[in-house]
Amino acid sequence: MKILVVDDSPTMRRIIVNVLNRIGYKDVIEAENGLDALHKLKVNPDVSLILTDWNMPEMDGLTFVETVRSSPVFKSIPIIMVTTIGAKEEIIKALKAGVNNYIVKPFTPDILREKIEKTLAQIKK
Amino acid sequence: MAELEFFDDFITEVTEILESLDQDLVELESRADDLDLLNKIFRAAHTIKGTSSFMGFTRMMTITHKMEDILNILRSGKAKVTPGVMDVILEAVDVVKSIVDHLKETQEEPDIDISGIVGKLEKVYQELRIGEDMASSASELKIEEKTQGEDIVIGGEKPLSREELEAFEREIEELFKAELEKEKVKTVSEKDKDEAKKQDDKKAKENTIRVDISRLDNLMNLVGELVLGRNRLLRIVQQLYQKYDQDELVQQLVETMDQVDFITTDLQFAVMKTRMVPIGRVFSRFPRVVRDVARELRKEVRLVIEGEDTELDRSIVDEINDPLVHLVRNAIDHGIEYPEEREILGKLREGLLRLKAYHEGNHIVIVVEDDGRGIDVEKVKRKAIERGIISPEEAKRMTENDALNLIFLPGFSTAEKVSSVSGRGVGMDVVRVCVEKLNGTIEVRSEKGKGTQIIMKIPLTLAIIQSLLVQVDEEIYAIPLVSVVEAVRLNEENIKTVENKEVIVLRDTVLPLVRLRNIFDVPGEPKVKNMYVVVIAIGEKRFGLVVDRLIGQEEVVIKSLGPYLGSVEGIAGATIMGDGRVTLILDVAGIVNMLTYSY
Repeated sequence: MKILVVDDSPTMRRIIVNVLNRIGYKDVIEAENGLDALHKLKVNPDVSLILTDWNMPEMDGLTFVETVRSSPVFKSIPIIMVTTIGAKEEIIKALKAGVNNYIVKPFTPDILREKIEKTLAQIKK
Repeated sequence: MAELEFFDDFITEVTEILESLDQDLVELESRADDLDLLNKIFRAAHTIKGTSSFMGFTRMMTITHKMEDILNILRSGKAKVTPGVMDVILEAVDVVKSIVDHLKETQEEPDIDISGIVGKLEKVYQELRIGEDMASSASELKIEEKTQGEDIVIGGEKPLSREELEAFEREIEELFKAELEKEKVKTVSEKDKDEAKKQDDKKAKENTIRVDISRLDNLMNLVGELVLGRNRLLRIVQQLYQKYDQDELVQQLVETMDQVDFITTDLQFAVMKTRMVPIGRVFSRFPRVVRDVARELRKEVRLVIEGEDTELDRSIVDEINDPLVHLVRNAIDHGIEYPEEREILGKLREGLLRLKAYHEGNHIVIVVEDDGRGIDVEKVKRKAIERGIISPEEAKRMTENDALNLIFLPGFSTAEKVSSVSGRGVGMDVVRVCVEKLNGTIEVRSEKGKGTQIIMKIPLTLAIIQSLLVQVDEEIYAIPLVSVVEAVRLNEENIKTVENKEVIVLRDTVLPLVRLRNIFDVPGEPKVKNMYVVVIAIGEKRFGLVVDRLIGQEEVVIKSLGPYLGSVEGIAGATIMGDGRVTLILDVAGIVNMLTYSY
């Protein structure tokens, strides 16, 4: 199962990828902003989950989510928004834009695994 | 080439990005901590990388990719911007620019070897990485450590407890539900408002469009033809009116003609406006030029730019860049002193270079000004004598102003040593020729020890000019009004001969004369009484053009002579007059050149 991690901070990406690998998801690709992510999606149509940050240059997470949701090809890919605990409004907006779930920083690998499994289970239903 | 469809958009975007990139990079050197600026620059490199990869231009992509790597480290704050790093980045930008230039012409990437610049970029990257690696390996270490306790945390120090998290999620759920409810009860009118607002936003975005310059050229041409037709019509209407001034229909025609006349003038200005671009487009390259030249020559220069919003015709913008670059290089090379020297002179170490533009009537004035050592008039005279440009006697008689303007003559350079900056074979004479090609004038003012000012005056458009119509025998010529100072009547007996040259004395100054009849070999007998002298100024040089008759002032549309005749010395082009006759437009600068060689 291929996961796309979108975050403009290389360090953050490295950490998330690291954790994903550790909890069993080995096939991970990275993008550094929304636009980059769209490009990555085009060449990787087999992505089955997206983890995206909110604040990014070029194209922020929200716009990215909206774009994906309006794309006939990619609209059904599950998306988890990575955000911070204080950002309630952001989360509401993200949910309205169509993210399947969100995860607030700081988080542990356990939570991340739970979120991913929950999200994938919902989709199956 | 794979993506021809997007090629034009791609070039436009990349060109725009590169233009602001130069300026941002130079600014970054003085504001190394400005994160917004760094982010902007990073995004610029990033965007070019992305689009060029999409277009399949691998060289461009490779270079910008490497730049992006470096910029990414810089913006993470793990390394500092140094002049050394900057030099490499700027060099990379230059390579990208040259690729873009090549692309514009051929739509293919040039077959150049980029391994040099890529190597340099990689070296800088590695050097910067040493700093970053230390930081990131530390964070990785942290993960390792914490994993052992099965307790790693992403994105912060302390994770939320289960309870806290559940509470937070419940809260979000409720907020989300409430939000959805709100959405449902939202009144129709509000929705309409939203819709209207969206429309407005959309409109604002669509307020500007890109137009191919050739379409504007075409439009300008058509307006030119219209102006010609209007002039012709005006003439006919006037004659009709003189003949039948009692006829009511003719009176109405005159009135309508006035309106059409007025609207045509408006239209002409409106079309001219669409072709206007701010001179800032040219000026924006100069922070970079100044920085490079100053660094190369070990000088400290502060650049002040004024009036970058001043607009001028797009075709002139393209022509003005090279002369300006030359003037700026000159000012830094010859004008501004070395920092140590300036300190001794009681000036600031940093020399001041000012680029200024403003409108004056139908002209744009561009000034390049420095607070350097100024031009030594005596030195200029000595050089000119050495080069055989003037005789020692002439030098003695010369006014200071005339002497200063010797620098615009071909083959003149006062630089004591030839540096890589000046001494590349082009002098001020090339600048002068460029400016005069644009129907403009150039002059220099200088005060020893205080600084130098070069002032260029250029018409806002090249296509339509105000002209003075003169007649020699049966032939009519148009002289661009910019170059005309005044016109005086004279008789043969006023003409005197000095050193075999015809001159007149006009208000205590000696004015050399040129007979238009002789220049173009106009047949017929020259008049001896009631001739006119049109006093022409080009730069600081003045001479009198002898003609038979003055006809008047008229706006003319310049048309080229066409490929059959090509360029004819002394003729800038031709125009069609109100009465349908074709009239030649004089190239005043060209005539001056013809004289310099024939006398």
